[in-house]
Amino acid sequence: MFANFRLSFAWLHTWFGLVLGFVLMVAFFFGSLSVFDREIDRWALPQTRIEAQPMPSFDKILASRFTTITEPDPEEREAASKRVTQPLPEELTPAQWGAYTTHRDPVLGMYVGFAVPNSTLPDDYAYGEITIDPRDGHVLPRDQLALGSAFFYPMHFSLHITWYDIGYWIVALSAMAMLAAIGSGVVMHRKIFREFFTFRPGKKLLRSTLDLHNLTGVVALPFHFLWALSGLIIFAGIYFPVLDRMMQPLVEAHEREEAAHTGLDTHPSGKPGTLASVDAMMTAARERWASRGVPGEIGFLFVNHVGNSNTYVSIYRDSTDRVATAEGLHFEGSTGRVLFEDPPAGPIETVNAFLTGMHLQQFRHWTLRWLIFVGGILSSICIATGFIFFVEKRKHAHAAEGFGGSRWVDALAVTTVTGMVVATCFVLVMNRVLPEDLAHRDTWEKSSFWLAWLATLVHATWRSTAVLQARMSNAWAEQSWAIALLGALAVVLNAVTTGDHLGRTLAAGYWPVAGVDLMLLAAACVAAIAARKLQARAAEVVSVSPEVPDYA
Amino acid sequence: MATATQSSWHVLSRVCASIFGSYAFSWGFIALGASSLIGFGTEFHEASSLTSMLGFLIYLAAFCWAFIAASLARVWVVLAGGGALMTAVGWWVSRGG
Repeated sequence: MFANFRLSFAWLHTWFGLVLGFVLMVAFFFGSLSVFDREIDRWALPQTRIEAQPMPSFDKILASRFTTITEPDPEEREAASKRVTQPLPEELTPAQWGAYTTHRDPVLGMYVGFAVPNSTLPDDYAYGEITIDPRDGHVLPRDQLALGSAFFYPMHFSLHITWYDIGYWIVALSAMAMLAAIGSGVVMHRKIFREFFTFRPGKKLLRSTLDLHNLTGVVALPFHFLWALSGLIIFAGIYFPVLDRMMQPLVEAHEREEAAHTGLDTHPSGKPGTLASVDAMMTAARERWASRGVPGEIGFLFVNHVGNSNTYVSIYRDSTDRVATAEGLHFEGSTGRVLFEDPPAGPIETVNAFLTGMHLQQFRHWTLRWLIFVGGILSSICIATGFIFFVEKRKHAHAAEGFGGSRWVDALAVTTVTGMVVATCFVLVMNRVLPEDLAHRDTWEKSSFWLAWLATLVHATWRSTAVLQARMSNAWAEQSWAIALLGALAVVLNAVTTGDHLGRTLAAGYWPVAGVDLMLLAAACVAAIAARKLQARAAEVVSVSPEVPDYA
Repeated sequence: MATATQSSWHVLSRVCASIFGSYAFSWGFIALGASSLIGFGTEFHEASSLTSMLGFLIYLAAFCWAFIAASLARVWVVLAGGGALMTAVGWWVSRGG
């Protein structure tokens, strides 16, 4: 597009990095929080602050809970009603039961898949979900929001924009832009080994920002690349449903062949059938794993063709001790005999499962978990410094021209960097302030998050007029103060409303809650230090002569 | 960008080619690759996984190439045209060729 290939890459890096960088901030920041999603859940749901529990008895607890799920969740039904050629009937038939847990879960997620008739998709289901306390089977209130796993985690890959899954596509394009930005960033800078050791915080803001951008980019280069790529690969079925959409005969031929080989029918028989003791199957599965030298708990339990004569039960070992996901053991529902055991995956499926497992981290390895968290934070810093560099490089020229470009970029940067953290701290505060039995408590919490974020945008826009005069916006410092106050307040409120103050949680070694509290305090301290420095900086009348190459 | 010599329409066309042209090209690659591999006897899931994982890397390469290629017309022909052609051939192969 330009005189040479480096200039084209610089354009790509600058403009895609800017426009989609705002999305990438959301993906990487909430992705980082998702590393500790279960721990954040414990903080936000005090009644679930108990030790992790294994999969409970199916016959005594799960069976009766599954039958209480009589319809898909409203949003699932709504989405399914758009995929059908005939109106969706009022009553839908339950077709699948599933229950999943990990070594970090004191509560158990359960779902029922309802067959969607006349769908434009093959084998389409709409899901109804509940969360139970596995000790006695009681169902947790639906309007209690699991902030980590049900809000922050889906935010990082869907932005909570459910309309035609558009959020997934925006995040996917941003992940692609991230991969392209990494490639073009390497091409632009070339002196990659030197960047590794170059950080001159004492230099002018422009230079030190670029140093930090390059340093965080290079130090965690494999992380940035692999997490963006594996995030895409996890949802390959959404982004490239090539075989399902245009090669149905091939897919069906494969399904028939596989069903003949495994004895697991693809479609329900339509004849009523019975279900033998699933507890006996679970025991058989555990015994089989123990005899293979890989004893473990059940991570995922799945019943297909519920109520039919060809119903089968699939049991998967949890992934505590390995990265890739497991091979399943499949039982005939009516008799409980083993129908089929998945063979070890082929080489390509193993690579796929490894990339997926690495990104989802079901394994028990706290050092690695923390490193992944640090990687996500480094990605966030890399993106944030990209915005700051963009503004610092242009604001003088824009001020001289009377052009508002830098001002708007700065306002959006404040909103997606400090504003996002403000909103996150604010929703934690609201989580502790709202009455426990408030109806639609989850909606209140989510709304408070979005409103707080919107408020930071308004604030950032208002304060960014300073950028029009080539000065630094006070919004950076003020929102940092807000983070410091709200972060500390969340810790205090947790102590006051639940009694689980740090003295108690640390003494008891209850790390999920102690960890969240400590991270909030750490964030509050960093934000306070940053706010002081930013205030000092904002007071200066900065005069910068650009000293960086012109291509960035 | 003092070096930007192209009209905004040209830039927009590049951006569209990089986003949508690359998608068509990757879709075609997966369609042709998966159906051919399965036709040659590769296990179904292995073929599907391999081509969709490579599909993302092909998208990345096509996305970058759309910005550095000299001729914008060639970019569109190769990405959209090539994607459509591979999709058609892949479909034909999947029906038993």
